[in-house]
Parts: sequence; structure tokens; C-alpha cells
Amino acid sequence: MEATCLPRIYVSASAKASSGLASCASTSNTGNSSWRRFSCLRNSRIGVMESLQMSQNFEFNNWRHTKMSKKSVACVQVLRAKLNDTERKTHDDDDEYPWPQKFGTEDLEGSPLPFLSRFKPLPNKPKTVTLPFEIPLLEIEKNINKIRETAKATGMDFSEQVNELQRKYDEMRKELYGQLSPVQRLSVARHPHRPTFLEHILNITDKWLELHGDRAGCDDPAIVTGIGTIDGMSFMFIGHQKGRNTKENIYRNFAMPGPEGYRKALRMMRHAEHHGFPILTFVDTPGAYAGLHAEEHGQGEAIAKNLREMFGLRVPIITTVIGEGGSGGALGIGCCDKMLMLENSVYFVASPEACAAILWRTADAAPKATEAMKITAHELVELDVVDEVVKEPLGGAHGDPYSASQNLKEAIMRHMKDLLKLDPDSLLKHRKAKFRKIGAVQEGVKLDPRFKRKMKPRDAHLDGEQPPQMT
Amino acid sequence: MLHIKFSKQNKSVCEERGNHLSMDSMERIEPSIDPNTWIPLDEDTISKDVLSFCDEESYENRLIRSQEKTGLPEAVQTGIGYSNGTLIAPGVMDFQFMGGSMGSAVGEKITRLIEYATQKLLPLVLVCASGGARMQEGTVSLMQMAKISSALHYYQVQKKLLYISILTYPTTGGVTASFGMLGDIIIAESKAYIAFAGKRVIEETLGQKVPDGFQLAEALFENGLLDLIVPRILIKGVLSEISDLYSSVPYKKKLVIY
Repeated sequence: MEATCLPRIYVSASAKASSGLASCASTSNTGNSSWRRFSCLRNSRIGVMESLQMSQNFEFNNWRHTKMSKKSVACVQVLRAKLNDTERKTHDDDDEYPWPQKFGTEDLEGSPLPFLSRFKPLPNKPKTVTLPFEIPLLEIEKNINKIRETAKATGMDFSEQVNELQRKYDEMRKELYGQLSPVQRLSVARHPHRPTFLEHILNITDKWLELHGDRAGCDDPAIVTGIGTIDGMSFMFIGHQKGRNTKENIYRNFAMPGPEGYRKALRMMRHAEHHGFPILTFVDTPGAYAGLHAEEHGQGEAIAKNLREMFGLRVPIITTVIGEGGSGGALGIGCCDKMLMLENSVYFVASPEACAAILWRTADAAPKATEAMKITAHELVELDVVDEVVKEPLGGAHGDPYSASQNLKEAIMRHMKDLLKLDPDSLLKHRKAKFRKIGAVQEGVKLDPRFKRKMKPRDAHLDGEQPPQMT
Repeated sequence: MLHIKFSKQNKSVCEERGNHLSMDSMERIEPSIDPNTWIPLDEDTISKDVLSFCDEESYENRLIRSQEKTGLPEAVQTGIGYSNGTLIAPGVMDFQFMGGSMGSAVGEKITRLIEYATQKLLPLVLVCASGGARMQEGTVSLMQMAKISSALHYYQVQKKLLYISILTYPTTGGVTASFGMLGDIIIAESKAYIAFAGKRVIEETLGQKVPDGFQLAEALFENGLLDLIVPRILIKGVLSEISDLYSSVPYKKKLVIY
């Protein structure tokens, strides 16, 4: 087999195999690209992924599988041998279509949906990013590696020291991640390797089909929409998509949608209501895009329209904040029956930097602003804005994306079961009531008349008009 | 430099260029409402310091200072009154009070006004003048956008009542992205600054200067985002004409007794 460029592998965590067995990838020689596709058992274990991770230049965000059959193990060994033989090329080319030019017979077995997805694993392993508060952990890890190398070189047994250090590492990690401050949580929410919307989707859905366009001239890449199944039930998925590296971020505009993105989301939400799909939205944006084009095409109007229409959709809506929730840009797809937040995600009305620049008049006060504005998940649950905090694995979602996705899936399905019991009218009332109660006002206290001197006093005749009666 | 007396006579409009300067809420309500017909709503509703926020000064102190300085308890006045013989439910925001920022109290007052108008089947008129959401109340003030939009959904979509929004100098941020741009008819005053993201944010994002006149009412009008630009002196008349036009529909008879 002569593949000249890097084979790209797409694996779905829980795609049902048509034959019921994990079938080996097919290789098709298509000139410049060779294609392989795995369809694996929903319950298959990590064997395939872990073994492939051993070979360089493949990075999967823990799309895991349970037990593998002997046949699939054999297939993987064959594949590994072939992969080691192939010439590697850096993945820079953008193919016009995400499916191969020539299909082999094995490609046509099973579901064709994975071929339509342009979201593939990254070919190059991204560079590890250490957050400032993780530096002590990095030191210990370096020491462990040093000792391991010395052990290998000299052949002496340092296992005791290694175990001791490993224990210290685990303890410190538990302590650090157990008590993150708001500033630290913000940095985890903005972590460059935090799982994005599509990564979560591919970990929790059995089938996934992305749908595009606002039917009015644009397909905003910052908002991704599509339909998929979880545990056999179909849902409409809408979310902000961040990039996994700089190139993708530029393509996705850093998950800052323009008005076209919100109109696309609205079209999908109406489509979902029409056909009966419950809607799951995922928020991960620094804010709506602030640009000339966006303003000219009615950014404010697009968000306002979404806000109003979402309160009339007669299907359950669950919103999860998986990263940053940036103000109006987040709320544009975030008017829901239940609001969930991942443990280390944030939801703010203005970014801490902007808030600091305006209120403290210096951007250096951003940490103070972060603490003061109460933007983390736990603080928002106390303010009754958020319904549940979804636990992340130790080390943040970026450390173990698959577990984070599974926690998310469990929480979503639990809430969805409750919401599906309600009829549409009760659902709308419940959604309205959820937002109606948010707000802290003080009343019944007679104000100093000086504070009301510029208000127009009542001058209607007492007998002529009906006094305002709020029921 | 305009002489204040002449300016007030002219309803704060510059004679030479027609620039509509910002106006107090009282100065807006006074001439628009027929005498002896005004009933204010929720006069004593004020914001609470829900986050115990303290920047250079605590939020509570800032509130009290603004209340003393402006003579208003909050950034919006709501009520009902007759205008040219038609009973309407106006809400007028005031930029003087903490930059017209929308906090819990503003959200609550406007929501209650909309709910009252829904109950009594009154046309709703909201005059917007705001710098955005109130940062001192954090995410709670963001949710006010959703709260007001939810009330508007019931009012506009389900009850099919008329809502006119009037955008004045300046209308930015959360207000533009919620009730400002949801009017059945959106009226703007001449040269009003209407934006979602402020000029400075756009310049920082793009790294280039924003062209002159970019987010003014005239530019939005050219881009199809507004229905009308109406000079201040004509607003009262235009509102009553619009009410008449909408109430004379032959097809759907509304059960409104004006």
C-alpha cells in the first residue's frame, strides 16, 4: 500500500457496527490520500485507541471503547504495521470534501454519516500548555521523569522514590484542583486544549449529522448545528465551536458568532420545534463578534430575535456552558428550561478584562474583577441562575475529555427525562418562570423624596382612572 | 456651546445640525403625556447589591450617590397615561442614572410594565437610552435581557399587541440586544448612537479606526435595521398616528377600549 500522505482516521465513540463486530479499517488508495474508517461496537473498550496512540502523529481525545474482539485486535495489529510503513506528511492541506475520492467496498458498510463530518482528529500532537498554578506539578513531573531516565540508564532500582513522588504528585493535584479560585477556573475555562463542542458531541452521540447555513447567504463557522442521537433518542445540537489550534481558531473566528450565526441557530431551533427534536445548546464563546460587518447586519437585532423566539419553542431546551459564556453572545442561544455548567466554566456579563478597564480603569485589575463579578459555576448556582454544576474529572476537562463528556451526557439525559414529561404549555410556563424569578430588587421601603424629585409624580384623578392592579 | 435655556425650549435639539442631545426622562414624559393622566408604576423599586460588589466604591454607595445626584431612584420610569387621548404604557430610560445601565430593578420594572400592558391590552412604548448591562450586578443583570424578552414574547407573539421602541442617544449593549431591537416599529432619533459593541471595542478587535457616522441612526436606517427616524418634536404626534393606524385594522378586531 502506498499512501503518500498522512492517513486520517475518524472514529466514533459509540457508532454501531453493522456487522456487530469491530471491523478493521479499510484502506483505499485514492491518489494523494488514504482513508481508513473504523466502526466500532458501542461498548468496545480502549484497545484500538490506546494502541493507535502509540503511533506518532495521531491524537484522539479519548474516544474510548470497551472490550475488543480478537478479530479487531488482529485488525489493529495489521493496521499498526501499515501505519508505521506509511510516509508521514504534515497535515496542512484542506481537501475539498471530507470523503475519499474512491470508496472501497468496506467503506460502504455501516453508516455513511462519519464521512460527511469535516471534524477530524488533529494530525499533530498539540504542545502541552501548563497553566501558572500547575507549575509545581510540572516540577514534580520533571523530577519523576529524571529519576526514571536515570533508572533506565544505570539499571538501578529507583521505584521507591518514583512511587513516593508519584504519590506526592497525585496528592498535590487533588489539592490544587479541589480548591480552584475563580481566577484559576477562568484560566481553565479558557485553556487552549479544553474540549470543544464537537469533541463533546462525538463522545456522547451515537450518530451525528452536521447541518449548515442560515438560508440567507451565510454559513457562520463559529456556530455549529446538527442532529444526533444519544441512547437512541434524537436531539438538535447547537453550539459555539472554538478551534483546537490557531488555524482552526481563525477559521472559527474564535467562537465569536456574527448575526448570521444567530440566524442559523434560530433556523435550526425552529426546524427542531417543527419536527419535535428537543434542543441541546452548548455555550463556549468569549462574546458575540464585534466587527463592522456584524454591526451593519444587525448583531443586536439577531440576538434579540433569538432571545424572544426561544421563549416560544415548544420543545425542551437544555443549555450547557462548556467553556466561557460571554454575555449576550452566550445568551443568544442560552434561554433554556435547564441551565447546566461544567465545573470549571464561567458565565459573565462582561469579560473581566473589559470590566476592569471600565470600573477600575486599568486592565491589571482583571483578577479583582473576576473575584467580584461571581462568574464561576458554583457561585452562579447560589445566585439561582444555574441549575446544576456538572463535575469535571480531576485535572480539568482537558486532562480527560472522555470522562467529562460522559458526566455531561449523564446530567443532560437526567434533566431531559424530567422535561420530556411536561406538555408544551407547561414547558413554556416553566421556562418563563425560570427567568422571571432572576433579579434582586428592594421594594416596599419608602424612599427619601430627594431620590424621587426628578420622577413625574402621579397626577391622574383618583376617581377617574383605575389604579394599577397587578394580579 | 448652546445656551441651556434655548436648548430646552428647542427640546435639546441643536438648531444648526439637528443633533438630538440626550434628555432627562422627566423632560420626555412631561410633554408626551396629557395633563392629569399619569399614573407611575413601581416608584420605590430599587436594585439590591446581590454580589456585594465593590470596585473603587461599593455598589450600594454608588447607587445612593447616583440617586442623590440625579433625583431618580433607578434608570427607568414606568407608568401609564393618556397621550392624545390614547391610553399607553410608556417606559422611559434615563442615561443620567449610572449611564442608563440595566440592572435588576430596571429589568423588573420593565417586565412589570409589559405584564401590566398585556393584562390591560395597552400599546407599549419603551424609550431606550443605555450604556448596556450593569456590571456590578454580574450575570443577574444579563438575565434581565432574557426576562424582558420572555415577557415581550407573551405580549407580542401570543397576545399580538403593539410595541414601539424608540432608540435615543445612546442605546448600546444589552438593551440593543434585547428589547431595543424587538419593537414592532423601531423609531430612532436623528444622529442617535445605536450599537451592540461600542466603538472602542470594535477598534480594539479590528485594529483599525471605525469610519465616522458608523453606528449612528442614519447608518442603521440605510442598512435596514430601523423603521423610522423621527425628529423629537414630532414624536408625540407620530405615536398617536401609529396607534390609530394599528387600531383601524379591518381584519383582526381587537378588544381594546381606548
